[in-house]
Amino acid sequence: MSEPVERQTMDVDIVCVGFGPASAGFLTTLGRGIVQDDGAPRFESPSAPGVPLQVICYERADDVGFAVSGVVTRARAIRETFPDLNPAEIPMAAPVREEKLVYLLDPVGASRRPWVLRAADRALRLAGVRDEAFELPYLPEFLAKRDGLLLSLGQFQQWVSQQVLATGAVQVWPCTPVVEPLIEGERVAGVRLADQGTDAKGNPAEVFLPGMDVRAALTVVGDGPVGAIGRALDERFGLPAEHQRDEWAVGMKMVIELPAGCELEAGTVIHTIGFPEPEIFGFFYVHPERVASVGIFVPSWFDSPVRTAYRYLQHYVQHPYLWRHLAGGTLRSWGAKSLLESGRRGEPRLAGDGYARIGESSGSTNVLTGSGVDEAWHTGALLAESVLELLREGKPFSKENLEATYVRRRRASWLDKEARVAERARDGFQRGFLTGMFGMALAGFTGGRLAIPARRRPSWKTRPIEEYYAGRIPRAEMEALRRQCAAEGRPLHDALMTRAGWPAIPYDGRLLVTHQDALLLGGKVQAPPSAFDHVVFLYPHLCETCGAQVCVEICSGEAIRPGDAGAPVFDRDKCVHCGACFWNCGQRTPEGRTNLQFRAGFGGLHSSEN
Amino acid sequence: MSVSYQIVVCAGLAPDPLQTLEPVPGPALKNELALPAVLDPWAAHALYEAAHLAKSRPGSKVYLVALAPKAKLQQVMMTVAQKLPFELIALDGPMSGFADAAEVAAALSAAVSGIAGLDRERWLLFGGWESATRGAGATMQMLAERLGIIDQFLAVDELRVEEDGSLRVWERVEGGGHQVSLCEGPPAMLAWATGRLPEPVNNPQIGMANMRGVMPALQRARPAPPLGGGIEYRKVALPAQQRQTRVVKDAAPEEIARELAAWIRE
Amino acid sequence: METILVLLHTEADGSLGRNAWEACQAARAAAEASSGGGRLVAGVVGAGARAAAERLGGLGAQRLLAVEGEAYAVSRYATDAAAAEALARAAQATLVLAPGTSRWSRALPGVAQRLNAKVDTHVTALSCDGGALTISRWYYRQRIDVTLARQARPWVLLLDGGAFPAWAPTDGQAQVESVAPSPPAVRTRVEGIESPAADRQTIRPDAPLLFVAGAGWTKKQRDGQPHVEEAASLILDFVTRAQCSLGSSKSLVDLSGEGQAVLPFLTHLHQVGQTGSTPRHPKGLATCCHGEEPHVVGWRFIADRRAVNLDANCGWARGKADVLYVADAFAVMRHLNALLDG
Repeated sequence: MSEPVERQTMDVDIVCVGFGPASAGFLTTLGRGIVQDDGAPRFESPSAPGVPLQVICYERADDVGFAVSGVVTRARAIRETFPDLNPAEIPMAAPVREEKLVYLLDPVGASRRPWVLRAADRALRLAGVRDEAFELPYLPEFLAKRDGLLLSLGQFQQWVSQQVLATGAVQVWPCTPVVEPLIEGERVAGVRLADQGTDAKGNPAEVFLPGMDVRAALTVVGDGPVGAIGRALDERFGLPAEHQRDEWAVGMKMVIELPAGCELEAGTVIHTIGFPEPEIFGFFYVHPERVASVGIFVPSWFDSPVRTAYRYLQHYVQHPYLWRHLAGGTLRSWGAKSLLESGRRGEPRLAGDGYARIGESSGSTNVLTGSGVDEAWHTGALLAESVLELLREGKPFSKENLEATYVRRRRASWLDKEARVAERARDGFQRGFLTGMFGMALAGFTGGRLAIPARRRPSWKTRPIEEYYAGRIPRAEMEALRRQCAAEGRPLHDALMTRAGWPAIPYDGRLLVTHQDALLLGGKVQAPPSAFDHVVFLYPHLCETCGAQVCVEICSGEAIRPGDAGAPVFDRDKCVHCGACFWNCGQRTPEGRTNLQFRAGFGGLHSSEN
Repeated sequence: MSVSYQIVVCAGLAPDPLQTLEPVPGPALKNELALPAVLDPWAAHALYEAAHLAKSRPGSKVYLVALAPKAKLQQVMMTVAQKLPFELIALDGPMSGFADAAEVAAALSAAVSGIAGLDRERWLLFGGWESATRGAGATMQMLAERLGIIDQFLAVDELRVEEDGSLRVWERVEGGGHQVSLCEGPPAMLAWATGRLPEPVNNPQIGMANMRGVMPALQRARPAPPLGGGIEYRKVALPAQQRQTRVVKDAAPEEIARELAAWIRE
Repeated sequence: METILVLLHTEADGSLGRNAWEACQAARAAAEASSGGGRLVAGVVGAGARAAAERLGGLGAQRLLAVEGEAYAVSRYATDAAAAEALARAAQATLVLAPGTSRWSRALPGVAQRLNAKVDTHVTALSCDGGALTISRWYYRQRIDVTLARQARPWVLLLDGGAFPAWAPTDGQAQVESVAPSPPAVRTRVEGIESPAADRQTIRPDAPLLFVAGAGWTKKQRDGQPHVEEAASLILDFVTRAQCSLGSSKSLVDLSGEGQAVLPFLTHLHQVGQTGSTPRHPKGLATCCHGEEPHVVGWRFIADRRAVNLDANCGWARGKADVLYVADAFAVMRHLNALLDG
C-alpha cells in the first residue's frame, strides 16, 4: 500500500490469531474459566466496562474446520481438557488399535538409496518378504501412540469449535486473515486485519475496506509454523540465543475412501520409512467407515532440489504394501501443510509485553515422537490457565507476568521435558538417512542424552539441480530438459523424476488423478475475487538468477509456476497456503529476507476432512 | 419519500457446493453434518441485497430466519455475521433437501409470524429463488401465500426503490432477459437469483454487535416439526456419468478445428 | 381416478411455446399410465388463451378451459395465481401438470398452497411404479437423481423444459369453456421485458450447441501473460459465427482482474453449473476449463460433449467428455473461427 489509509480501530481484551489446535486448547480452557457455573461472566471487560471479557479469535481460512494434519496422537492434553471424550462423537475419529512401523523396499528402482539400503532390499527380498515391505517386529516406545486417537484435524477442529462457541464466551471468526502485529515500543498492542476489496497488488478496488486495527491487552499468537504474526514477532524481537528455525517439512495427505471389501479396521496406524525416498517418511491411518488418511513428509533435509510432494505421494500410495489396500479406492480429499521441525531449538520468545506464543509456531512439535497436535493443544491450555491466574489476580499481561505464569508452566510440563529429549534427535539426518535413523534411535533410547552432532545447513540451501543429478543426467541433456520445460511452461520436476526412472502415473480418474484434479476434490481451493496476492516475489531479478526455483517444485497446489520472464508466476486461486514456498525460497533480498514474501491471505483449501 | 423496511430473509444451509455428496437411506446425505456448510447461495444473495437496502434506508432492519441444525448454524453464522447486521431467528431442524417444501414453508411461516412488531407497510420477505439442496424454487411462494403476500417475484436480479416508494423489480426470464415490474410497495416477496451485489466484506465491528444476539437466538432455537410431507422416495442415487472419452493428443490446432467445424455442422 | 389438468399459458404473441406442447405430451402419457385411466382437462391462461385452447382439440381432454383478459395477458403472480387456482378448482384436478416456465414457476407453488396441494418442480420424467405415479427430479443441484411418489392430492408438477417430447397437435373437436377467476387486487404493473440487443445476445436456449468458457481463458498463458482481450474476441466471434449459446464457469463469472471485469459480456446469467443453470443442448464444447465438478453438473443435460484443454489427464478425459482435444484453446479457436467464417 503506497498511500496511508484511515483504519478503524476496535478494542477487545484478548485477540487470538489463528484457530488451530493450540488456539482451540486456549479458547476451550479460557472459555470455561471466564464463565461461572450459572453462565454469568466471571470477569468484566477492561476495554469495555459493563460487558464480559471480550475474547476474539481470527482465522485466516474460510471455515473453522479447514485444517490439515495426519493426526495420530496420544491425546494426553486433549483428554485432560475433555476427560469424557468419546471419539464416536467426532466424525472420523477412532481409538488407536494397532500400530506398525514398516520399512518399504523400493519396488520401482528409482529411489535414491544409499548402498546399505540397496543391499538391505536385496537381502529382504531373498528372505522372502511380501509386498516389498518389512514390518518391524518392534515399535520404539517413543513412537508409540497406544491408547491414543486417530483424528481428522478438520473434523476435530469443527467439533471443538462447536464446544467453544456454544459457551458464548469467546468468538471465532473465520475468513479473517491477520496480516501484522501492532507493535508499540516493546509491547504488542494488538493486530491488524487484512485489507479487503483490493486488486491483486493490494491497491483499493471497488469495495475497499482497510483492515481494521484490533487492539487488545493480550495478543495470543497461534498462527502456525508459517504464520505472518509469528514471523513478524521473530523479526522484531529476535529468537533466543542459539535458537533457529531451519528444519521444516511439507506434509501432504490424501483422504481415501477404501475399496469395498477392505478389511482394515478403524484405528490401524502404519508408519513407514524407506520409500519413495529414504528421507520421505509416510503414514497410513484408518478412520471409521472405510476411510484412510495416507500421506508423506518431505523434509528440508532431503538433499534434493526436486521436492515434488504430490508426485512422490502418488508413487507412495502405489507401493505394493499400501496399494493392496488402496487399489479401487477413491480420493475424497487432499491437503498439505508445512511443519516446523526445529522443535525446541526453534522455540521463539514465548511471551513478551502484551503477547504470548502458542502451538507449532512456539516450537511445540515433537520431531522424535512425531506428534504436534496434542502438544499444540497443551500450550494453549497452559496459556489459558496462566491468563485466568493473571485475571483473577488483576495483573497485567506484561512480559514478567506471562513469564512467571505461562513460561513457567511450560517449563514444568511434560511437553518441555519431552521436547528436550527430542531436541537433537534429528540432527543426524543432516549427514544422511542412515545416520539420521541411528541418531533418532540414540536420542529416543537415551532420553536425549546422546545424539549425532549436527551439520547445520539452512533449509533453503539445496544443492543445484545439476550437481544433484551429476553422473546421472548428462549436463547437455539437463539443459535440453530445462529448455523444453521452460518452453512448455511446466515445472522441471516431473521431467526430472521421469528421467530418473520414476514411472508415469497410471491415472485412473479415481485415486490417481492429476494434481489439478486433486485441487478440486473434497472441496476446492478458492480465493475471493478481490483480494491481494499473498505470495510476492520481491526482487524478480533474483528469481531470474535462481537456477533451482524450488518454490515452483515444492508448491503443493501448482500455484507457483515457471514464468517466461524469469520470475515464477503466482496463481492465488490454487494456493493451499501450506507455506512451503517460503522456506524453500533460495534467494535473499538485500534486507536479508526471503525473496519470496509469504503473507497471510484469503482463501485456500476448502475441505474439512484433512 | 424515504421508507424504512423490515426485511425478513429466509435462508437454509447447504453443504458447500463443491463437496462430494453421497446419498444414504433415509434419504439423507452421508456425513451431512461433517461436511462444511454454507448459507444457501441464493438465499445468501438475498441477505446481501437485504443488507444493502437496509443500509440505504435508515431505520430499516434485517431479520434472518434460518432453519438448520443448531450446531451447524452456529458455525455458519461465524462466516456470515461479520458481513452485515441482522437479527437471527433460528429454527433447529434438518438441512436436508429431502424435506417437503410445503412443510418447510409451514415451519418458516410459524417462525416469521412470531416476529414481534412486523408492519405490513414496511415488510419485505426475501429468500433465494431455489435452494442448493432441494432446488425446488417453491418454498418462498408457499410461505408468502401463508403470510398473505400476493406480490411475489421469482429469480430477482435487481430491486430499485423509486421516489414514491414503489418497487421496480427485475426478474430473470427465459433467454437471458429480465421482466421489469413495478409494485406499489410492501408487502412483497422477492426470491432472489444472483443479484448484482458482491459478497460484503467482513467488518469485525458488525460481527461483535451481531454476536450479542446470535448466540441467545441459537439457544432459543425451537425444534422444527417433522418435515417429511409424505414423500415416498423410490430411488435416490448418484447419476452414472462415466463416458468413454476419446483423447486426441498431438493433433495440430488446424486439424482439431477442422474436426470441430465438421462436428458443429453435423 | 386421476383428474389431470394440463395447465398452459400462452406466449406474448398468443401462441403456445414448445414447453407447453411438451407438457401436453407428458399429460397424455400420465393419463394413459394412471390406473383406471386418467381424465384429462386442459387449461390455458394468457393473451389469446381461447384460440390457443382451440388448438388442443386432438389432445383427448374432456374439457378445455381458458382464462383470458387483459389482466391475465402478462406474467404476474397475483393474476397468474388467481387464474391457475380458478382452473384447478374448475377442473377439480388431482394432478396439475404445467411447463416449468418462469411464469408458472413463480405462480404455481403458491397456487398449490391455496389448494392445500403438494408441489414438485423440475420434473424430468413421469412413470408408473406399482400402480402409483412416480416422478423423477434432481436434488442438490443436479447431483442426486431421485424418483419419488406421493399419496397426497392435489399434486402440482412443474416439468423441466426439454425433458419430454413435444406433442404435435392433431385435429379434434374443441369446445372451450371460459373460466373467470375472482379478480385479485393488482398492485403490480408489468412494464416489459429487457433483453440483450440481438447482436449481444449470447444466451440461446434453443441453440444446438452450448459453448462453455472456463476460467483458463483469463489465466496467464504459456508466455506468462494473460491475453484477455484476445480471449474475449475469440469467444464472442465464435458464439456469433456458430450461433451457439454461451455458458461459463462460476469462477470466470466471478473473476475480476486488476479492478476490471475480465470478460465484460459474461454475467451470472451465463453461469453453468452448481449455482448456475443446467441448460439442455444436443452438443456442448468446453474450452480452457478443467473438468471441475460444477462444470460437469452444468453439463448433465448436454448430450454430446467435447472439450479442448491442455491437460491430457484432466477430469474431462475421465469419462466426462466424449472427446477431449489436448490443445491450446486459443490456437484451436482461432482456426475454428476462420473455418466457420468460410
